[in-house]
Amino acid sequence: MTEELSKALQNKLLEVNIEGKILNLVPLTGGASKEIWRFEVQTNHETKEYILRKGSGIEGPLAIKTSDEALLQQEVRKIKAPVPEIVAVSSLEEALGDSYIMKFVEGESIPRKVLRDAEFKDALPLLAFQCGEAIAKIHEVDVSKLDYLQEKTPIDQLNDLYATYESFNQPSPVFEYTYLWLKDQDFGDTQSSLVHGDFRLGNIIVSKLGLESIIDWELAHIGNPLQDLGWICGNSWRFGQNEKVVGGFGDLEDLLKGYNSISQFKVNEHLVRTWQVFGTFRWGVICLIQASAHLNGSVNSVEKAAIGRRVSETELDIADLLFLGGK
Amino acid sequence: MIFDKPSSVDLLAAISHFLDTKIKPEVPAHLAFKIRIVENVLNIVIREIEKGDELSNEVINQLQGLIAADAPTIEALALLIKDEKIDLEDQDLKDLLVTLSKNKIAVDNPNYSTFKKLIK
Repeated sequence: MTEELSKALQNKLLEVNIEGKILNLVPLTGGASKEIWRFEVQTNHETKEYILRKGSGIEGPLAIKTSDEALLQQEVRKIKAPVPEIVAVSSLEEALGDSYIMKFVEGESIPRKVLRDAEFKDALPLLAFQCGEAIAKIHEVDVSKLDYLQEKTPIDQLNDLYATYESFNQPSPVFEYTYLWLKDQDFGDTQSSLVHGDFRLGNIIVSKLGLESIIDWELAHIGNPLQDLGWICGNSWRFGQNEKVVGGFGDLEDLLKGYNSISQFKVNEHLVRTWQVFGTFRWGVICLIQASAHLNGSVNSVEKAAIGRRVSETELDIADLLFLGGK
Repeated sequence: MIFDKPSSVDLLAAISHFLDTKIKPEVPAHLAFKIRIVENVLNIVIREIEKGDELSNEVINQLQGLIAADAPTIEALALLIKDEKIDLEDQDLKDLLVTLSKNKIAVDNPNYSTFKKLIK
């Protein structure tokens, strides 16, 4: 299987004038729905590292095509926001399938390593500001060029999430309460922007200097950009470092300083908190979706079964935010 | 119960120990990661058997004070909230939602950071 993949990679790279031998092709553990491979290309004068990201070609209810992820990142790169450089894109019909090849970015994305390893000790205090700055740039990408992305208002999104929750027939008093609460909130009168959709520790590459790249664009869409700020603050993505609101590494104040240094729309903590509740509800519904794949028999997976018991984490986080003054 | 020892909890704990000490060290990293998930699942079941009744009863008792019904259920409460037939600003409702969430996580994942913070 690796041989076939190697051949397909080699041919694809030839199309963009990279001619060389494919070496050390190894799978990396990636998201549940994507294959990620790391490999090297040896040309006459040098050896360079690349990443292949390959999807199933099927658009999910939330996820976009992998080839569209690549197009999107090329737009983001034009405005000099930190994303990996895309080298080649393949459509579903080609030998390589729905995928793209990007240059390897040196650094770490595994959350617990970023938070714990001594190597990143000096980077962590800079990271919240850098994340704010970078995502603000991304929110200024010209959306008229992104016609393959869905546009959704906060209320559309909220209603979609609620309908999905309801379809599973597992009534949750906390989620019912959350839905009513959210329907009443002001989400910020922003311009429609490119939204990353899964901007958090785990989907950023960090070096000892700080933020290097923002990856994993499969949940991208057009909408209210502030949801990216609420999402990165969710307790689900603090990996045990509860007191550090931004990703388990930083303070909200620094994230907003970075964001507001670029963005025309100035964001305050209250708006982020509203979006944090939204994001926590969204993650809860995503957990329900994952678990339902096991429950309805479409897959038999202990991981997917287990994630059904993570819904309660999001309920507790919401109860903490709404009733107990949680941050 | 008419069954001999070991109890269901003892049996599950024995499997968990076996996976942890005998299997995890022998398998490649991606499988060791899945074994960890399996152990987590076993531990959820163990906690549910041991404390599930008590944790559920505490919520149901609190619920009895809140909604008028002979046998109040979580589903009934969800519906009352949905239809806004209960005062959403009622402190007893808020307290109940906190107890419910805490008691669920006490089985699902007592190591969760928010839970550890709240029981401190």
